[in-house]
Amino acid sequence: MNYPDTPAHQLAARVQEKPDLLDQMPGDYAVLCSKSQNLQIFISFEPQAIFQEVSTIKQRLLAGKSLPLAGATVALGDNFCTAGLVTTCASRMLSSYEPPLTARAVDALRVQGSVIIGKANMEEFGLGSTGNSSHYGAAKNPWDPDRTAGCGAAAAAATLVSLALGTDSCGEARQAASYCGVLALKPSYGRISRRGVIEYAPSLTQPGLMARNTRDLVLALEATAGEDPGDPTSLKLLVPGYFSRVHEGRKGKGPLKVALLEDWDAVPTLETEVREAFQAQLDDLPKAGLEVEAVSLPSFQESSLAAAVISAVEAFSNLANYDGVRFGYRAEGPSLQEMYTATRTSGFSSKLKQFITFGALVSSEKYYTSYFVKSQKMRTRIARELESCLEEYDLVLTPTVPFTAPRLERPRVAWQLPDPAHFFTAAANLSGLPALTFPLLSPSGLPVGLQFIARFGDEAALLKAALLLEKKNPLQFPQPGFKDQGGCGR
Amino acid sequence: MNELETVVGLEVHVELLTQTKLFCGCSAAFGAEPNTQVCAVCLGLPGETLPRLNQQALEFAIKAALALNCSIAGEVSFDRKNYFYADLPKGYQISQFFQPIGTRGYVEIQSAGEIKPIGIHQLHLEEDTGKLLHVGDILSSPFSRVDFNRAGVPLIEIVSEPDLRSAEEARLFLQKLRSILRYLDVSDCKMEEGSMRCDANVSVRPRGSSALGKKTELKNMNSFRSVYKGIEYEVQRQSRLLQEGGEVLPETRHWDEGAELTRAMRSKFLSANYRCFPDPNLPPLLTSRERLNALQEAIPELPDARLERFVREYSLPRYDAEILTATRELADFYENTLAVFPVPKAVSNWTMGELLGLLNEAGQEIGTCKITPTDLGELLKMVQEEMISRNMGKAVLEEMFASGEKPGVIVEKKGLVQISDEGALAEIIARVIDQNPKSVEDYRGGKKKAVGFLVGQVMKETRGKANPQLVNEMLKKQLEV
Ligand SMILES: [Zn+2]
Repeated sequence: MNYPDTPAHQLAARVQEKPDLLDQMPGDYAVLCSKSQNLQIFISFEPQAIFQEVSTIKQRLLAGKSLPLAGATVALGDNFCTAGLVTTCASRMLSSYEPPLTARAVDALRVQGSVIIGKANMEEFGLGSTGNSSHYGAAKNPWDPDRTAGCGAAAAAATLVSLALGTDSCGEARQAASYCGVLALKPSYGRISRRGVIEYAPSLTQPGLMARNTRDLVLALEATAGEDPGDPTSLKLLVPGYFSRVHEGRKGKGPLKVALLEDWDAVPTLETEVREAFQAQLDDLPKAGLEVEAVSLPSFQESSLAAAVISAVEAFSNLANYDGVRFGYRAEGPSLQEMYTATRTSGFSSKLKQFITFGALVSSEKYYTSYFVKSQKMRTRIARELESCLEEYDLVLTPTVPFTAPRLERPRVAWQLPDPAHFFTAAANLSGLPALTFPLLSPSGLPVGLQFIARFGDEAALLKAALLLEKKNPLQFPQPGFKDQGGCGR
Repeated sequence: MNELETVVGLEVHVELLTQTKLFCGCSAAFGAEPNTQVCAVCLGLPGETLPRLNQQALEFAIKAALALNCSIAGEVSFDRKNYFYADLPKGYQISQFFQPIGTRGYVEIQSAGEIKPIGIHQLHLEEDTGKLLHVGDILSSPFSRVDFNRAGVPLIEIVSEPDLRSAEEARLFLQKLRSILRYLDVSDCKMEEGSMRCDANVSVRPRGSSALGKKTELKNMNSFRSVYKGIEYEVQRQSRLLQEGGEVLPETRHWDEGAELTRAMRSKFLSANYRCFPDPNLPPLLTSRERLNALQEAIPELPDARLERFVREYSLPRYDAEILTATRELADFYENTLAVFPVPKAVSNWTMGELLGLLNEAGQEIGTCKITPTDLGELLKMVQEEMISRNMGKAVLEEMFASGEKPGVIVEKKGLVQISDEGALAEIIARVIDQNPKSVEDYRGGKKKAVGFLVGQVMKETRGKANPQLVNEMLKKQLEV
């Protein structure tokens, strides 16, 4: 059995039957990861920890436990807390920080039998997906090591793991998946607990799930979704059985009705590669059983601006606990004030500092009403518009990112506000609606994403659409090439 | 220059008596070893700052707002007040900036014999900060330590309108506030332990003017006395400044308890920009009518109402009623004693005169007193039934106060029961008459006062246990034979 290539749902079935199959995993990973250092996909990777996790799962299987994700390998964005394992947020600020607790979503995956392979490299504190702000150097794209990879998705694309978790605050997990050619799901706000997730914008963030096929995504969602009394924004809605929902027929409802964002191709930053791949898929959608109509959503184009203001204000406050007093990195200073300044000056990257400064500015008395309040109103308008569109349609359809993975040596879009990568993705964060990106390939063979947004709580519609597309588009991954490029280690 | 008028508004922080902190499960108890009552949430550790609102704290705050006659906000919302300080773990304090839970209330005080309402501008719920510990004073300390036990303990901040016209009114307002909050059992309001803290905005203006003068903010007053003295000093200082043609600088001033004066902390207000915005982790919570009604019903009789009832129902002098209703514990003690011994004025006299005297002397409060209302009632019964004399009663009360024993046990143990048996007294009286012929002669010669000496002799023989009334009667009868 080729361990990393096997989809998680198939693997789980086999491992459940024959727990001994797990024995080869730690060894496989030691080899895989030593071969893939150059991609800088992982910040921490500890074969010892993998060995430990695997033996625990084996014992549980041998004791007769049924584990739907038995042996499923997971890469965690390094902003998911893991007790006993350094959690850096790809920042100097937390370069040696060991959290006392593990994120609830991670515990949920472990309960179902999955193995945490390592902590994935990402943008510092999960902010954006197009830059190079990691304290450990940028993660490289397995399709083209000169391009960015965003968070976690690279590990899944390079078939180092079956599943990856990354935060999605303005679309980061979906963007990473789009750059790397895998699926990503951002659930409805509150669907997955944020406890133990280090985030910069609490009102926008959901853990994003990434996988190479829809069935694995369904399993990951079933494992992690659910109410958490420890998260005050956790959804009290019942979690549907996604697996059966996705597979049940439409029962006379006809094909899925899809609203295509009108003028999607008028976005200034749209690359030809994306336009062509997306257009080709559009033409194929009716054959896959999706009925598409163009719909005008005039406020949608404001979403990346509103998200920039709101997320910057929240980040300014949410990252204020990194002050060098209780944990993490501290630079010395002769007074408390000077210690703060020194710590935050040398602990954060310049991108993050600019962002926080912007947040402090737009929340100051002078700009509060004209920027922050205005953005919140814009947010409400964007949400209302999407919700009313979704009363008539099952899904809203857009490209995921206007461009393919940006080149690392020229991060031309890294410092812009609003971030052009958020153009299509931020609306789902602002409205709290669930969204999914499905991987396409451009004519020149680069990954591109197609995004669906669904009604609040209706992740099943997204997964169903993904399954329909998957039937028509056998997914491809760059596994042959990557092994010479490398992938792990700090 | 015209006569000047004092204008004072108070900002009072009160720690709530909840079991746990406002947003996590840590104990909110006072006095533990530093940093033993902390967790990932109240330390603001990465990824662990999600708050869970303590419902008891919310209910305490609503009860306090209702008792202070406030309007209650239709929804409970929280905001972040952002600033950096070493005692603030998250870099922001969760407070209620945009929508305080209570607004537009009032409290009545008795000032110069008049009932005067003092407006409550707002009451809001927030979390406390940690505490910095310095070596010596803050400026010379080579380093500082932080104790986060207090970080996250629920506080209510009560802001009065600038309706107070003297230091005395400020003190009365603060005492009334403490009394109400203690009646509600939402705070112990101990200024010396910091569970009640008070800042004062003080200004003066020409009498008759409706505009407010330039104010100073007065801090660091750690007792009712220092609130009074600090405001008094500040009023004098500002008045002198104005009368000398000077100007009051808007500044924060520290009350220096030792030197009995106020000192400027900063030369001018640093315009504080806290960049408040709604906390995205705490979605607004609707306050349902039913919940408010239930809380309103759970509010006990408050000090003013109880005072009036004591005057009306027990015919007590207002002075007695004021003292007895000052705390809920004392008023409960009084009424529980009445249940055993239903003579209101007698119980009031004993409680105020004897019991409070003992408590003051020992520096204790009624809550920790070993004497139960039932025991005090039993004691008063014995005095009334002349089983023991009033003076004996006082001695027994002291013993009860010290040991907590029942009065009957003490009386028996000490053999204090009054001798009211004529047979037992007759012999002693006969002996006293025999031994004091001079006094007997004086009495019979018309010096009726001489009987007092003879009564004293009998009391001495019986070590004070004889019933003096009875002795007096028996002696007279014997002497007039
Ligand atoms: Zn705590």
